[in-house]
Amino acid sequence: MRIRFLYATLCGLVLAGLVHIVTVLAIPLLSDTDALSRARGSESLDHPQRLYALSTADDPAPAEGWLPTPDPAVALGVCAYDLDDGPMRVSARTGAQMLSLAAHGRRGAFYAVTDQAAVRGALDLVILTRSQYDEALANEDDNEPSRDVRIVAPERQGFVTVRVIAALPSQRAAANEAVQAVSCTIDSPSEEPGKEPGKEPVK
Amino acid sequence: MTSLAERQPGGPRAQAGAAGLGGRAAGAVRDFLRKTSRVGLVLYALGLGAGLGLVSADWATRGRYPFGGVTVGPWTAWPRAGAANADPYARAVNARRGEIPLAVGEGLLLSATTDDEGRALEAGCSYSIAGHTPPARAWTLTVTGRGAAEPGRPALRGGFTSTEILRERDGRFVIALAPGARPGNWLPAPGTSGPIRLALRLYDTPVAAGTGSLDRETLPAITRLGCGA
Repeated sequence: MRIRFLYATLCGLVLAGLVHIVTVLAIPLLSDTDALSRARGSESLDHPQRLYALSTADDPAPAEGWLPTPDPAVALGVCAYDLDDGPMRVSARTGAQMLSLAAHGRRGAFYAVTDQAAVRGALDLVILTRSQYDEALANEDDNEPSRDVRIVAPERQGFVTVRVIAALPSQRAAANEAVQAVSCTIDSPSEEPGKEPGKEPVK
Repeated sequence: MTSLAERQPGGPRAQAGAAGLGGRAAGAVRDFLRKTSRVGLVLYALGLGAGLGLVSADWATRGRYPFGGVTVGPWTAWPRAGAANADPYARAVNARRGEIPLAVGEGLLLSATTDDEGRALEAGCSYSIAGHTPPARAWTLTVTGRGAAEPGRPALRGGFTSTEILRERDGRFVIALAPGARPGNWLPAPGTSGPIRLALRLYDTPVAAGTGSLDRETLPAITRLGCGA
């Protein structure tokens, strides 16, 4: 009897270990409060969804976001993407304030770039799948190399965060605007000439 | 065997010293085992597994990241918490909190909940946060309390950025974290009592790629100056 009880306890402990591991691995997949699920609403927008706006003199109390520990000097916006709709293009114009873009998948951030990587004041980040990347490379004009920063995403769904730092309180309104000024658009094949061989190029 | 018997759910928790109670518990377990069938033991194993597994998973993914922390003095950083190769626990913590951690190329978050001597930071005490920061294009140092802000409390400064801080002649800075106003860089405590937390966010910093260059000299020291009014 004692042996059986000992055996049952041992089985229970092993089972507890399995349940523990499965639960920890399942939390990011099942959670509906994680950043990716909450950012989904921004998918239809062509500019970032405002996650954390800085308080300014006109609007001293910013709306409480769901971000647990925001930096009170950094305005934050997100653009969610679904690469099934096409490659995601995030275009930012750099200004006086420091700006950073980070691409997140479900597993975490896979790429980040700051405004120091900008070419002539413009930062173009294109997130695509492996096949979309190959297609873009094949269609590239050798005489006109693209200035886009092309990143192959590990998953089809994810989001891009836009962070703009307001170094001084007087720059907060500008930081909020700078986040909104970033454009997040889907690169549809018809917009780029000669992207799809079957289709007529659009001039 | 006694220790296993004590783990029996529902059974009285016998203290080592209380022999009478322990004996009675062992007797109850022996009775239970004699009466119970194989089904009972299977149910017991399943219940133990599910209960212990869920509770331990909840405990491990609540609050701070359990693994991968780099501690330098009072400051702790989790450089891989936002990366694609973050450990499953960090990913679960992020998912539960809805946190968007800084990516490795973006910056690094260092947080402190104690002073240099290891005493917990209290909103009622005053501290000096002095020294240098690791190289970064910009940094912010913020203080947060636990829970929601007190209603009716005027929104005061929540932190300093590297641009707005007043520096000494040698480039050092001294921040006075105190409930009452101080000269110089005064950082108001976020409440009147309770634990507080300091967050030093370094943006666009080479430190994020390799935290080996962090040491106590490069991070601000947190010294408690006194408590109470």
